[in-house]
Amino acid sequence: MRTLDKKMLRTMWRHRSQIFAAIAVVTCGTACFICLASLHENLKLTRDTYYAQNRFADFEIRLERAPTSTLYELQEIPGVRQVRGRIVEDVKLDIEGVTDARMGRVISVPETGGGFLNGLVIRSGNFFDPGAQNEVILSEQFAQANELGVGEHIKATIDGKKHTLKIIGLGLSPEYVYTIRNVQELVPSPDRFGILWVPRDFAESALTLEAACNSIIGSVESEDQLDTILNAAEPLLDTYGIFAKTKKYDQLSNRILSDEIRNLGVVSRVIPTVFLGISALVILILLNRMVRNERTQIGLMKAYGYSSFAIAMHYFQFALVISLTGCILGFFVGQYLAGQMIEMYVKFFSFPILQSRIYPNILAQAMGISIAFSMIGAMSAAYRAARIHPAESMRPEAPVVGHRTLLERVQPVWQRLSFTWKMIVRNVTRHKFRSTINIFGVMVSTALLIIGFFSIDGIDYLMEFEYEKMQRQDVRVSFYLERGKDALYDAKRFDYVDHAEPMLQYPFTLTNDWRTKDVLLVGLPRHARLQRLMDTEERVVDIGENGLVLTQKLADMLSLRVGDTVKVKPMMGRVTDEKTVRVSKIIQQYFGASGYMNIEALSRVMNESFAMNSVLLKTEPGKEHRLNDELEDIPAVSSIEVKEDSIRNMSETIEMNMKVTSFVSVLFAGVIAFSIIYNITSVSLAERERELASLRVMGFSRDEVGRILYHENMLMGVVGLALGIPAGMIVCRLLVKAFDTEMIRMPYHLESRTFIISIVLTISFVLISNWAIRRKIHQLDLVETLKERE
Amino acid sequence: MTHEIQQENVFRINDLVKTYQMGEVSVSALRGISLDIHPGEFLVILGHSGSGKSTLLNIIGGLDTPTTGTVQYEDHNLGEFTETELTHYRRKHIGFIFQFYNLMPNLTAKENVEMATEISDDPMPALDALELVGLASRAGHFPSQLSGGEQQRVAIARAIAKRPRVLFCDEPTGALDIATGKIVLEVLQDVNKKMGTTLLVITHNAAIAEIADRVIHMRDGHVSEIEVNDEPKTLDDVVW
Repeated sequence: MRTLDKKMLRTMWRHRSQIFAAIAVVTCGTACFICLASLHENLKLTRDTYYAQNRFADFEIRLERAPTSTLYELQEIPGVRQVRGRIVEDVKLDIEGVTDARMGRVISVPETGGGFLNGLVIRSGNFFDPGAQNEVILSEQFAQANELGVGEHIKATIDGKKHTLKIIGLGLSPEYVYTIRNVQELVPSPDRFGILWVPRDFAESALTLEAACNSIIGSVESEDQLDTILNAAEPLLDTYGIFAKTKKYDQLSNRILSDEIRNLGVVSRVIPTVFLGISALVILILLNRMVRNERTQIGLMKAYGYSSFAIAMHYFQFALVISLTGCILGFFVGQYLAGQMIEMYVKFFSFPILQSRIYPNILAQAMGISIAFSMIGAMSAAYRAARIHPAESMRPEAPVVGHRTLLERVQPVWQRLSFTWKMIVRNVTRHKFRSTINIFGVMVSTALLIIGFFSIDGIDYLMEFEYEKMQRQDVRVSFYLERGKDALYDAKRFDYVDHAEPMLQYPFTLTNDWRTKDVLLVGLPRHARLQRLMDTEERVVDIGENGLVLTQKLADMLSLRVGDTVKVKPMMGRVTDEKTVRVSKIIQQYFGASGYMNIEALSRVMNESFAMNSVLLKTEPGKEHRLNDELEDIPAVSSIEVKEDSIRNMSETIEMNMKVTSFVSVLFAGVIAFSIIYNITSVSLAERERELASLRVMGFSRDEVGRILYHENMLMGVVGLALGIPAGMIVCRLLVKAFDTEMIRMPYHLESRTFIISIVLTISFVLISNWAIRRKIHQLDLVETLKERE
Repeated sequence: MTHEIQQENVFRINDLVKTYQMGEVSVSALRGISLDIHPGEFLVILGHSGSGKSTLLNIIGGLDTPTTGTVQYEDHNLGEFTETELTHYRRKHIGFIFQFYNLMPNLTAKENVEMATEISDDPMPALDALELVGLASRAGHFPSQLSGGEQQRVAIARAIAKRPRVLFCDEPTGALDIATGKIVLEVLQDVNKKMGTTLLVITHNAAIAEIADRVIHMRDGHVSEIEVNDEPKTLDDVVW
């Protein structure tokens, strides 16, 4: 080992606590990068292979009933590779020993097996034998959540008839990586909603759809042609009542998965950059101080004949050791975190295989960037060291020059400051760069806390808004077919029902000139109490007697303004003629592109005097499940949702998510704040040892001396905090904008709790740093420090 | 002795030994020193570098602890003081002057003095202290704007502002030229005479010894000679 290297290692050991603090930031940065980037890569690859191996469809057309023969015509459309007709139907499930509602989606698959579109991965059990009846392959997560195994039975009410189905296998499909019934559900509830794959023959007879289908899925040569192909398909299928055309991009599960992957990609760049940027600053401060400390030694080495280059490299080496150590630790931490994250992902996304892997290219990248950042941090120190003149370096450094600060102009204030505060103010203003970095570090730390808690607050608020402010029913009962007012009166007569309101949800095609969009329109009674129409400002919107209320997103897509008219056409059913409706209001909402109308007006669009397909019920307190039991056996009922159950499930999942998020953001914010404050204070302490020692000699106690540094840190901490809060809020607003998708918009909502916690935590970080520095103050050797003159 | 006999000694130093452990070698800085320091006297400890004079000062000043032996201050044993009591002792009873002034570079002359007055019970106004050292006109200057002698006088003002019983000076003129050094000594002498502050100066400069009441000669950790000046010289007569 060269002498210079020995010197480096010993110097590092002497400054070990500062070095470790710097390494901690690098570790966080590389760990984040390795974790997030690997996860991003991993999910992307897993998704792509999964989709390819199981032939994930490029489009789906849902219709009322199309004869299988149409498929041959579709197959002929240029660019179409493969099409498959199938039957999809939501059903009620009955599981022994379970009282609350279980919903399932029956999907037919060819019993011949083979490589069909949206193919299955059989996780246990078998695929159907030819001619199988009353057999089902159940989605794995649903089976696990309900403790159902191969060989057991499950009861399903299909088209009003009860069927007992034998579970012969458990499976997964690329179509349901993220299994939710609709976008409002936010998070999957594997115990409450499952997929039932059944043999085609069975589905045809159970739903009386012989030689017909209600869903057509297909794959194409190139996704660019999708629009052309779907347009070409439309006239062929028009008579069969198309009610939804979904491109792969918009497919619910794929969309959520792909958005997640995209967001992960963004986050995997941003967060590590913040950390490594901070680490560069910490290294900068640390090494600059070191160079000043070692001026004489550097001069001496030069006098002996070491070149400026060798000296510069010596300081680059410090940075290299810090970043490499950080990288190695970051690798282990990152891989561990990736493993934890994958465990979390597996709870939300069902993949046949998703396991933590090591990506050498990502490791190489991680190493590359962290070294690059640390080199940037070391640059100025290396330059200074290289420029030191041997003869000059032997002379003592020019003494510190005191300056008057701006605050001194305000004599009434200045006079009142104790000398401790005068020293603090002058010191903060003297070391502007250092103070700025200190403040910046605290600012980033606070902002990180706010951003971390924001993701929790946002989801919390969305839940509260959706399930408490907007939806106020206890139970929601849906019917297979549209019903008249009598169904509402029937519902009101049930035991335990306090209040009932109708609701109509129906798919329509909205057209404005050449712009067209298929959406679900919601019909509600005016002044509805159970399903209120609200905008993001929490104002209840009057739905009016006539006219269409559109969300801003839908209005933008169709280029509509209040007062414009739009053509509305039901997508299925007997009535398919177009009506013209005026846009009466445009409102901001969190969920997707949808439209609302007075239920009576919407019924008239369908040529009915009154139509509803679900009823919302308010029950006597605590009687929701009793009602559920009573309603369960009514054939016309397609689903019963007890709100309380849905909320409970979501809260549980979200809570787990919150714990992880808050833990990680507190950890990261803490490391950043501590590392910066600790390092800067150490440097400042080293520079002022003499000053502080003479205070001790004059009879100041350790704590009184320490307070000069503690208060200084607290002052900058408070400034950083004051800047960090608005900075965090701005980033949150940007995040809302960045993650604004067609399906969902995050609310910009921060609880006052978040601010309080962030303030308390930031101040704690400062206190912890002060506590760590306290040791150094206590160790101050009075006699030695005062004896030598640098 | 020109001073009237005081009732009691300020310090009673009894068989003081200080041994430093430097790696595997132990170095004896003090090898059994016994000494009484009288109230109000101007005492000079004279010795070459390495004679142990600074160690002695640091121990009496409460900055360092003896290996064996005792230092009695009034009726307290310094060796039994806790860290807090030592701080209190330095704060209320004694003052220090160093060769290199050790002023706060961030504070003006007046603020440097105020720093000391803020923590004492009955301080003199900062400006009065500066007046005493002849620097009232430079109260608003920062240390970097003052000459070495002026800085040292500010240090003296800072030390005396809290009216200490004893003032310890470690080579107070060591970094100064003769003329400036004389001014500083004059100030110190003044303090000793006007305020009755016991003054303990350590130096290797024999000339300074001539103006003291008593001179302790130190060599190799021993007191080699105690010299009493019945007629201390005035500064003008001193030649160095």
